[in-house]
Amino acid sequence: MSGRSLNISRFLTVRAAIVAVLLLVVAVLPLFVTGTDARYVLKVLTFVGINVLIVTGLALLFGYAGQVSLGHAAFYGLGAYASAYVTATLGMPWFVGLAAAIAVTALGGLALAVPSLRLRGHYLAMATLGFGEIMRIVFVEASSITGGPDGFSGIPLPSLGSFVFATPQSIYWLVWGVAALAIMISYNIVSGRPGRSMRALHGSELGAMASGVDLVGLKVRVFVISAVFAGVAGSLYAATVGFVSPSTFTFHFSVVLVAMAVLGGTRSLAGPAAAAILLTLVSFPDIVLPGLSRDILAVVQDWEVDIYALVIILVVLFLPEGIAGAGRRVLGLLRRGVVEPSGSDSGTGQRGDEA
Amino acid sequence: MSLLEVREVTRRFGGLTAVDNVSFNVPEGEICAVIGPNGAGKSTLFNCLTGFDSPDAGTVTFAGRELVGMRPDRVVRAGVARTFQNTQLFEEMSARENVMVGCHAKTRAGFVSTALRLPWTVKEERLAAEDADRLLRLVGLEEWRDAPAADMPHGLRRLLEIARALATQPHLMLLDEPAAGLNNSETEALAHALYRIRDHGATLVVVEHDMGLVMEVSDQIVVLDRGCKIAEGPPRLIQKDPEVIRAYLGEEDPEDV
Repeated sequence: MSGRSLNISRFLTVRAAIVAVLLLVVAVLPLFVTGTDARYVLKVLTFVGINVLIVTGLALLFGYAGQVSLGHAAFYGLGAYASAYVTATLGMPWFVGLAAAIAVTALGGLALAVPSLRLRGHYLAMATLGFGEIMRIVFVEASSITGGPDGFSGIPLPSLGSFVFATPQSIYWLVWGVAALAIMISYNIVSGRPGRSMRALHGSELGAMASGVDLVGLKVRVFVISAVFAGVAGSLYAATVGFVSPSTFTFHFSVVLVAMAVLGGTRSLAGPAAAAILLTLVSFPDIVLPGLSRDILAVVQDWEVDIYALVIILVVLFLPEGIAGAGRRVLGLLRRGVVEPSGSDSGTGQRGDEA
Repeated sequence: MSLLEVREVTRRFGGLTAVDNVSFNVPEGEICAVIGPNGAGKSTLFNCLTGFDSPDAGTVTFAGRELVGMRPDRVVRAGVARTFQNTQLFEEMSARENVMVGCHAKTRAGFVSTALRLPWTVKEERLAAEDADRLLRLVGLEEWRDAPAADMPHGLRRLLEIARALATQPHLMLLDEPAAGLNNSETEALAHALYRIRDHGATLVVVEHDMGLVMEVSDQIVVLDRGCKIAEGPPRLIQKDPEVIRAYLGEEDPEDV
């Protein structure tokens, strides 16, 4: 008994150490990005952080609660336009724009969730897909607010009080800081009572109801949280780039997000975050391989959609539990190797959630 | 006074009347069995009592409250827990976590308070885990605490579902064929668990095929056939009831029985 609790506490310490090292790496990375293309590299790494933020919301919705959304690009867009309108058109501070993005995406999430979360599986996916298309058309047609197909330009940089996030480094830190906060919040949620009810809902809806879980209320809450994460990401995106247009918030991007969540795996936050990093960098291979020629780069970007589709197919075929599942398996083997000599544990003492 | 009062409950599916004008009472602290041949309407009746289905007519009163029209999770919060004929466990979660989900009815940490890791939510989690461990001991599953439900043998899965139902702190438990697929020793263990649960203050309604178990544990038996109640009473009378014998064995000569 004491042998096992010792192992669990050692496991938790190791995990805390890994998280600390990762945080440190993410935090100091900009200091090592120098040279002529430093601006570009930092911008790409900032996009990576934005995608990690959105996919963390999808990890809650898809990975834990088992609900599929094919419309998350729409929430990303809603947040971006709400924030852009409040900061650029109304001239309010970025913080107010962020608050507006949160409010609008929460309302949008609620408006979509309340009627459609009574639907299941494919029907829910269809409803979110429809919502995404409707919003894309709204972004194009409501040109007095959104700037129509030409886009919305002149969005001010993010700022807090008199401090303006003007350098690429400071924007990187802002975005990754928000992403880390979202992951921390999500980690608390999945390791507590709401996370358990989400996994229960995924496991058996009848069983969850018979345990007193209010299914519709739970689904609506998870959906709204994941929509708000996308909305916050949208606000960061709009302020970082200074320009938004409907071509960013398409069905294609929703599919990319789902690909990240699927590759990341269920019941995990780390897996989807890793998948978001990997798949975002696929579009920018010159960051990882600096010497890459422009021709190869162009080919990769042309075939981007096909690469994502191929990733989904390969994952479903060969790695159905995604990165998280593979990680769990490796971890299980390692721990068994560590534990078996004392013969006190067969590797089942670990909690179901893996953050 | 009766804890549960079922009055003239009727449920039709198209032309079929699955439950036809059924009434009975369950007094507090008793074990009541609902028996009947396959297709007699037992599971439909259960669904009507627990909010999973809505009767076309009739009322279900539990401790003075009307249950018809209530959502299943509200029925659970009102103090009525159930298990399923096909166990509905959370396969990838450990036995302990399965039971902890049952604690949801009596805990309240929401998304915001959990996200902020407020101290009372941490304490609530610890108490729920202790509760779960206690209930796993009660049904004799403490050794399986950390095993995923998917890895547990069939008989023990039924006990786990009972522990999860108990975690909602019910006054009334409805068990849908708890002995189905159990061997003799497992059925014996189940009977003991049922007594222990009743002694803890819960009233039990059991749908069951296993006549040995029904005759052993129940105080009162309700017999359904083709949706209608055909008999009601203590086990020794039900065993001799000609209607019941006919329903179970068909229109055969009584001498054959």
